[in-house]
Amino acid sequence: MPNKYETLILFSPDLTTEDRQQIMDRLSGVVSQYDGQVLEVDDWGMKELAYGVNKYHRGRYVRLEYGSEGDAVAELERRIRIAEGILKFITVKLEDDIQLVQEA
Amino acid sequence: MAFKFTPRKKFCRFCADKNLPLDYKHPEVLQDFVTERGKIIARRITGTCAKHQRKLTREIKRSRQMALMYYSAVHSTTVKKKTI
Repeated sequence: MPNKYETLILFSPDLTTEDRQQIMDRLSGVVSQYDGQVLEVDDWGMKELAYGVNKYHRGRYVRLEYGSEGDAVAELERRIRIAEGILKFITVKLEDDIQLVQEA
Repeated sequence: MAFKFTPRKKFCRFCADKNLPLDYKHPEVLQDFVTERGKIIARRITGTCAKHQRKLTREIKRSRQMALMYYSAVHSTTVKKKTI
């Protein structure tokens, strides 16, 4: 049974909208590759950071909510670590054993 | 009648208000439960119940991890700005 996860990603402010979109598309691709389903993409916009990260004091938060098996999370985090311009990320399990809605 | 100081009864804010989000994504709520230097305040001071204090601690730490809250005021961007 898949679980519901969310991953909050902090992007560097230097990234253009296209770069960011490209990374998000790739990450969403990973989820669907593992038979998961992206439930929500939530852009918080540019925010002031509480403390400097790699000399940046601002960053863009994007929250990705998805339902998938646990192995998708491992792959997703691996990709995040490889991707350029991601300062921080955190994955939290929101719910156990959810039923994915079948897309026709 | 001798004056006797009776402190106000403390209560758990998260038990009283079920809609109050206890979540790392809401640093504005968590900020009430840390000192201005960023230390987590003991539950004997804030009155939070044991169950919620455990969750609170976890969420504050997640929030710090994501740079939504600072670990210590020394590293804080906002506190630094005020002093300059």
